[in-house]
Amino acid sequence: MIKISNLEKFYRTEEVETIALNKLSMEVATGEFVAIMGPSGCGKSTLLNILGMLDDPDAGSYVFNEIEVAHFNERKRADLRKHNIGFVFQSFNLIDELTVFENVELPLIYTGVAASERVKRVEEVLDKMQIMHRRNHYPQQLSGGQQQRVAIARAVVNKPKLILADEPTGNLDSSNGNDVMELLTDLNEQGTTIIMVTHSEHDARYSHRIIRLLDGQTVMENIMV
Amino acid sequence: MFKNYLKTAWRNLINTKFYSALNIVGLTIGLAVGMLILIWVQDELSYDRFHSRGDSIFKVNASIGTGASKQVWGGVPGPVAAFALKEVPGVVSAVRVVTSYDYSVFRYKDKLLKEDFGKASYVDDAFFTMFDFKLLKGNVKTPFPNDQSIVITESTAKRYFGNEDPIGKILTGDSKDPYTVSGVLADFPANSSIGGDILFSMNVKKKQYTGKDFWKSMDQDWGNYYTTTFLQVRPDASVKAVGDKLTEIHMKNQPGIKPTDGVFQLQALKDIHLYNPDGTSAGIQIVKIFSIVAVLILLIACINYINLSTARSMLRSKEVSVRKIIGAERSQLFMQFIIETVLCFSIALVLAFSLIYAVMPVYNSISGKQMHFDLFNANVWQVIVLTIIATLVASSIYPALLLSSFKPINALKGKVAGAGNATFRKILVVCQFAFSVGLIIGTLIINKQLQYIHSIQLGYDKEHVFSLPMRAMQDHYEAIKAELLSHTEIKGISTGNTSVIIGNGSTSDTDWDGKASDVSLLISPFDMDKDFIGMFKLKFAAGTGFTGVKADSAHYILNETAVKLAGIKDPIGKRFKLHNVDGTIIGVVKDFHFASLKQTIEPAIFSYRPSSWQMFVKTTGKDAPTAIKLVEKYWKQYNANFPYEYSFLDDAYNEMYRSEQHTSTLFNVFAGIAIFISCLGLFGLATYTAQIKVKEIGIRKVLGASVGNITTMLSRDFLLLVLLAIVIASPIAWYAMNKWLMDYAYRAEINWWLIAVAGGGAIIIAFATISFQAVKAALANPVKSLRSE
Repeated sequence: MIKISNLEKFYRTEEVETIALNKLSMEVATGEFVAIMGPSGCGKSTLLNILGMLDDPDAGSYVFNEIEVAHFNERKRADLRKHNIGFVFQSFNLIDELTVFENVELPLIYTGVAASERVKRVEEVLDKMQIMHRRNHYPQQLSGGQQQRVAIARAVVNKPKLILADEPTGNLDSSNGNDVMELLTDLNEQGTTIIMVTHSEHDARYSHRIIRLLDGQTVMENIMV
Repeated sequence: MFKNYLKTAWRNLINTKFYSALNIVGLTIGLAVGMLILIWVQDELSYDRFHSRGDSIFKVNASIGTGASKQVWGGVPGPVAAFALKEVPGVVSAVRVVTSYDYSVFRYKDKLLKEDFGKASYVDDAFFTMFDFKLLKGNVKTPFPNDQSIVITESTAKRYFGNEDPIGKILTGDSKDPYTVSGVLADFPANSSIGGDILFSMNVKKKQYTGKDFWKSMDQDWGNYYTTTFLQVRPDASVKAVGDKLTEIHMKNQPGIKPTDGVFQLQALKDIHLYNPDGTSAGIQIVKIFSIVAVLILLIACINYINLSTARSMLRSKEVSVRKIIGAERSQLFMQFIIETVLCFSIALVLAFSLIYAVMPVYNSISGKQMHFDLFNANVWQVIVLTIIATLVASSIYPALLLSSFKPINALKGKVAGAGNATFRKILVVCQFAFSVGLIIGTLIINKQLQYIHSIQLGYDKEHVFSLPMRAMQDHYEAIKAELLSHTEIKGISTGNTSVIIGNGSTSDTDWDGKASDVSLLISPFDMDKDFIGMFKLKFAAGTGFTGVKADSAHYILNETAVKLAGIKDPIGKRFKLHNVDGTIIGVVKDFHFASLKQTIEPAIFSYRPSSWQMFVKTTGKDAPTAIKLVEKYWKQYNANFPYEYSFLDDAYNEMYRSEQHTSTLFNVFAGIAIFISCLGLFGLATYTAQIKVKEIGIRKVLGASVGNITTMLSRDFLLLVLLAIVIASPIAWYAMNKWLMDYAYRAEINWWLIAVAGGGAIIIAFATISFQAVKAALANPVKSLRSE
């Protein structure tokens, strides 16, 4: 599903140039659950942003579903993104002004799904995440675990082929964290490819494969059994 | 999708009550005031534009004299209309309107009502066909079946006859002349320059020419410029050619007249309200100024909105990026923010409508108009739609573009291009305050000029003098005067045909020794008794006044300007001829202002008349009520059939500057509002700055900064902007107001301190606005702010 080769990304300020990704290459097959680990500043988040087409690389190739997307402009990337990729963040990133239902509904609105179909699909996914009873609440009224469930519900409501999770349990206690990891594992078992950035060895164990990064390069790959 | 936008917009509005309130209050006031001004402007521009043949109707004006002494009069002699119809190609129709001063009261049965001067006119029959004034009852072709017929307006009919049918009813003018109502005219629209209550047939005026005087008939009288003459010309006719042809006819028919005296020019009907006969501004300048003020106030309100929404965009960057990440396209976000603006505007608009309805009566009274804010009126919607679209576009596009342009990844991390870059906002604040300071300077200068007008040495004393028409008292003037003067409440009495405040037309029918053949002197004649000059405290430059001796009937007194322009050396004892009366100059009075201060002092000549139609009574402030009562006794004795009427010269004087007074009051209000809205925005920005600098303030306080240090830090930047605004606005306002003052022959000086006052005022107001937030932020407990980080 994903093939990147010699990917490079630099961050420049007026005086300093930092290399975030240094000729990084990797592949992720459809249906895989991959964890990316490494110390702070190793380029995990940069990699995730490029994979999620939120950012573009400075050099190298990124093939997504057999399409070269490294040189796509923002509009094309956005289009590809909204139909194929769901995001889960450490800080949930729900919209405070919208209710649980409305937050989950949002991606469907942006992809132009009809209203009746939207209700059906949102209810289905809220049910699956077991937060149906909270559908009319606002994010501030929920616990962290519940917020992350809503965020995952929002990430999957459009039935994406790929879910990118950036430390999804980082803001949660271990019990809620485990619940979230179970949910991701379920989704993966139903066929969704998952790439997850994490600091937690415990969470990484839910994946099939761990890619360890240091200074923008792959230093090790562990296959989980 | 739309529902979602609206929902988000609404919740955002509710969640940020403070900023929403600032935005909405600013917009509401801005929109309301902007629309009120534009309604005023529209009303001014709508004058005389409702006639279906309006484009081909022109008023004839007369240009007299050359060079500095050139005047353009709005009235022309009686024969112009008749000759225009007969001899000028292209003229389709001609109408004369002559104000009638024949009657001041009318009686129906036992109902006696006073008619204001100027509300009755003689008109030609074509008046009812050339113009679109609607004859509700009566015959358009023969509106006056005979010379004793009158046409009255609907409201006049109501006043006299109530609900009775007015046709055939008899109104008796001044209790002597009966007139039969032959037609009822719909009331003249408020935006018509032509107006009145009662219309007489022009034949009545014509019959006043007895054939025994110098001018034998109205259609031969080329000497008196008293008719307002309208011509309807064919669309293909040249307006200039019509004027030239009329001038040519004039030259042919009034032998001996100089080619420069009596040149006729046509002025479009739709221009007569806003332009003087000579083409100078009679109001168009104020219309332009107010249009600019309206735009400025709307801009100030838009700037508030833009500044507050872009400043706060940083707080919304997370929402924007999340929306982008989960699939929102830029255009969708753009629409979302536009809808937020639309929502905010809609609320402000509804509030603005209510505000306009609420203040309309007050607005009418300060502007001296009768305007209506009617949401079912298409004209009102013109203003609304124009205002809304312009302000909406101005205030929605930039914030929407900015917000929708955030790069999601950066925005999530709080790095927002544009939002942090406050240069644009600073420029806007400078603009806002420049507008406000400009308006304040304008207001101060207008007020100063008005003050100047009131304080200027007019050259006479009009304090506590009231005037009244004498009517039958005129025959007993000397006896009444002697009797009245025996009361201590009455300080002086005199009579004259015109008051000192405003002259009564001018004439070029003069001659004197040594007059060059090419010189024509336009001079204002005053008739007066021997006490007039003394009572009004006019000063002599040379010679003496009238003493009441018989020889005074051949004595003249000139003002200094007349002597100067006539070029008479040592005038006392010299010959001077006015109309047909040869006389001697016995005195020269110092110049005095007998016209609006917009005009320079013109030549004046005093003639002796022991008794004129008008009496002047001087009293004191305290004794005025008694004096009025004393005079009333004689009025009742001699003028029993007329209601007692008198008026103070001070009021008449103020009346001359009423439009300036209105302008000044409106300007005060507008400038106040402009600065208020600007301060709302500044207050919002200051609050926002204090909010985002909460951590910096905390650190500084921990390091030892005082409340004063923090307040200075937060205020300095804003005050610098206001200072810059003052620097930019001052010269522009100074230049513009100087231009406005050019309209006045006598004008107040624009002192540098006026600008200093305006600038200082703006700084103080701005500082008060900011410091409230700054001090609040500075007083906050630093531990709290640092912990919240």
